[in-house]
Amino acid sequence: MQAFVLVAALAALVPATAAAGPVDTPGFTKAFSCSACHGSAGAARADAVPILAGMPAWYLKKAIDDYASGRRPSPEMEPFSKMVTTLGVDDVAAYFATQKREASPIKLDRAAIASGRTAATQCAGCHGQDGRGDQAKGTPPLAGQPAGYLLNQMKLFKADKRSPGDANLTALKALMKGVDDPTLANLAAYYASLGR
Amino acid sequence: MARMTRREFLKASSAVVALSGLAGCASTGGAPTTTSTPGDLAPNRSGRRVIVIGGGWGGATAAKYVRMQDPAIEVVLLEPNDKFISCPFSNLVVSGVRSIESLTFGYDGLRKQHGVKIMRESATAIEPDAHRVRLARGFLTYDRLIVAPGIDFQTEQIEGLAAAGDRVLHAWKAGPQTVALAQQLKEMPDDGVFVLSVPPAAYRCPPGPYERACQVAWYLKTRKPRAKLIVLDANQNVISKPALFRAAWQAYPNLEYRASNKVVKVDAAARELTTEFGDKVRYDVANVIPPQRAAAIAVQADLVGVDKRWCEVNHVTYESVKAKDVHVVGDSTIGIPVPKSGTVANSMGKIAATAVVNLLNGRPAPEMPPINTCYSWVSDTEVMAVINAYRIDSGKVVQIEQKLTPGQSALYAHHAEAWATSIWADILA
Repeated sequence: MQAFVLVAALAALVPATAAAGPVDTPGFTKAFSCSACHGSAGAARADAVPILAGMPAWYLKKAIDDYASGRRPSPEMEPFSKMVTTLGVDDVAAYFATQKREASPIKLDRAAIASGRTAATQCAGCHGQDGRGDQAKGTPPLAGQPAGYLLNQMKLFKADKRSPGDANLTALKALMKGVDDPTLANLAAYYASLGR
Repeated sequence: MARMTRREFLKASSAVVALSGLAGCASTGGAPTTTSTPGDLAPNRSGRRVIVIGGGWGGATAAKYVRMQDPAIEVVLLEPNDKFISCPFSNLVVSGVRSIESLTFGYDGLRKQHGVKIMRESATAIEPDAHRVRLARGFLTYDRLIVAPGIDFQTEQIEGLAAAGDRVLHAWKAGPQTVALAQQLKEMPDDGVFVLSVPPAAYRCPPGPYERACQVAWYLKTRKPRAKLIVLDANQNVISKPALFRAAWQAYPNLEYRASNKVVKVDAAARELTTEFGDKVRYDVANVIPPQRAAAIAVQADLVGVDKRWCEVNHVTYESVKAKDVHVVGDSTIGIPVPKSGTVANSMGKIAATAVVNLLNGRPAPEMPPINTCYSWVSDTEVMAVINAYRIDSGKVVQIEQKLTPGQSALYAHHAEAWATSIWADILA
């Protein structure tokens, strides 16, 4: 109790205008709506949504732009992307890009990771050996994203429901069509395991 | 209230985890060292205290986000329940798809991770002029108050409902009634009739009653195919996602929907409901969701408008239009073009917290719009949703866009699970 008294006394000395929390972090307020689905500071804990913490700003801005324009159809993300655009996508993208990445808590199957590693050779050309992506090629980082999210996206590519008609994705979608769903699940597990 | 003895004082304060005002008292081993007003359970010496009434979706979020953004502000959360039970997803408990335990969470995260001081007590009154909140044994003072009390039922508007007691449940505040309704459904005769009564808008969770209809119909279809569900809706049509719900109901021929059928009377002995047109509907299980208003504390504090039901607030700060330094969030508010949903309450909690932190630091509150997502489970595996995005225009919330999922799917169920996992953590972790 005596120790607590000291702490309380010190706390009372803090000037009334001090604000040490994220109220002073640029972008925090504009980005905090996202945490309802994408986790605190973009550290998604769920399987179906991407981790935004540490995502390169160029790719988050591209995703927001594609969602908002309807090029990447999503009934959930289209309205929210329009909101982010009105708030200022640069601030939101810069905020998430500077947040520390935390590993997803979703458990992965070791056998699936091993199988996925073998199947991933054809992905490395564009997404890199380490799955970190390449802005010059317009390929996003995949490493460490939740497997559920990666699998859902691959299925959407395969069915041409993600960014339909995008000429840059024709080759990718042709490749996906030749891969069966269990292999896609293995690929998802493999890329989810990277960078953990 | 008489001045407390020290013993009484400490006992009364045992629910308070280290409220700062108690420190001086304990250090001397005698009476408080500074002058204190009789009944003041913990003198507010910092001048930076925020009290939050209600630890639901809006209040718990607000408490956390004040502390996250300015740890120098003391936050006291008044919540009589020791657990948080999620209303969203609780229709899945009625149908036996999920357990109530899977929707039940403690407040340890707020306490340990964020330093929110939690008192397991109800606020009994608000005194805005004195900046005080009354509790059973005394009062606490605040610099800013965030009121998030949720809804109360206007049971008196349906004759016989109060007298029906536990025989006719609402299950509209997740908890024991949810579990009891699931049991009633399970025990209903195989050829029984389940009647669900939908209240007139506005009420908590617009799609909720229709989602419940889906869950009950799914349960009956799979477990009691000879049984029937009758939905008596006080409204003229399904008031949320009507096309999607009606499409989902194609799978449930055992579901009979009757619009403009407001229930005005319950006869629990005869197992009969009466509508305002005098139609009598016999039931084996009646689930009557009564008309609603802001919870009693908000009504008693006169935070409600002329309708005596809901609280009007500033669209940027969520400060009550009727009481200075008192902010209101969640289902008890009205006037902002948003549904009474969990996502909205969570969103309002963040925005009000941010406003409070900035105002206490002598800065203007930033203009932040809320968001909305309502996922509805139409079976045990499929979900559809409505999504709303907003912006602030001349100090008012206006909608940018509303979107519906093109239909129901397992993919959206996957998204719904992700939303729930994330938002529960956003509120409590």
